[in-house]
Amino acid sequence: MFEMGKKGGPDKPVDLSMQRSDAPPARPEASAPRSGSSGGHAVIGASIHIDGDVRGEEDLLIEGEVNGTVQLKNNSLTIGPQGKVRADVYAHSVYVDGYLEGDLYGSERVHIRKSAQVRGNVTSPRVSLEDGAKFKGSIEMDPQAVQASGASRAAQKPAVASNGKPATPGAPKFDNPATPQGAVVKSAG
Amino acid sequence: MAAQTTRGSAPSAPSPGTGSPEALNAPLFHSLVDRLADGGRFVVLDLGAARTETVRLLIGHRCRLDIAELADSIDTLNAEESPRRLRELAEAALPPRRRESTDLIFCWDLINYLKRPALTAVMEAIAIRSRAGSLAHALVYYSARRMPQRPTTFVPVDEQRIADIGAPQPDRDAPRYSPEDLAICMPRYAVDRARLLKNGMQEFLFRL
Repeated sequence: MFEMGKKGGPDKPVDLSMQRSDAPPARPEASAPRSGSSGGHAVIGASIHIDGDVRGEEDLLIEGEVNGTVQLKNNSLTIGPQGKVRADVYAHSVYVDGYLEGDLYGSERVHIRKSAQVRGNVTSPRVSLEDGAKFKGSIEMDPQAVQASGASRAAQKPAVASNGKPATPGAPKFDNPATPQGAVVKSAG
Repeated sequence: MAAQTTRGSAPSAPSPGTGSPEALNAPLFHSLVDRLADGGRFVVLDLGAARTETVRLLIGHRCRLDIAELADSIDTLNAEESPRRLRELAEAALPPRRRESTDLIFCWDLINYLKRPALTAVMEAIAIRSRAGSLAHALVYYSARRMPQRPTTFVPVDEQRIADIGAPQPDRDAPRYSPEDLAICMPRYAVDRARLLKNGMQEFLFRL
């Protein structure tokens, strides 16, 4: 595991035992998660399928299927082992155990665990990647680009379509060419 | 020859299960990585799998790391006969193209596992997305006649050394691509430098 922003010595071995030290709060049982909310985090259960824009102000565990966008500006998102997300994701912290196809932005960190399958682009000041994870895409490691991406996202206004209504999910807006493509970030208001 | 269980085909490689793999001095890999010290922004394309060691090597450099995990596509690429379809598959085997051109390419041992048409298609697809002067580093079984059945896992130990940390596996005949073979299969790439590593592999640095 490595963490951008916490540079280890070049000879420091990869310590797999440390990989879960920064895990998010304990998850509900992964075997048969049920949708709901408890203990400050919400759960999208394994039988739930959502097409659209998911936004919220609490931590979220996805064990179901989500297509669209996920925005948790101040909270963490965990894509559980059974979770299938085809979406651009923006959250404070992102933990991936399951399947993700889309671009990932974590304003604090992105942690891709060994069971994860990710196809997309990752931008975050701290990116952790466990060996064994299947990953195809890009990891932005340029501190300047990460910072610029964060600033541009923080400054972005809510996406509004020409009819004055919020832009539809699945219509990502591409910003600074030096930064990865990402979901439109709506201000918290 | 019967398949044997081995870690690479390295004459000097440790026997499977005898401890940590031996780090190999790889001066051409070093010269590639040394480019990053220029301080500019680089796009690095890694044809291998996502590895913490590679990411750790690049920490602190102004770069974007594109990861292809090409090993997953090798069988499909090798089985395709249509040149047009092969080009499409080669492009699909790489990460989606972005606006920036690729500067540095880590091929590791993957070249050995691509048949000639597939090798041509993949390297052409990479050339199209790379800027002139880009450098590609590759390890080719040339002196070594045998190689692992599947691509193994090479990782950087530091900026000057690499190691094969792949699990022991049966071996098979290596295609033993010569510089002349590679020149034919990869016409847009010129051999910048080549060195024989002590494990019997030829280390190549290609320039676009």
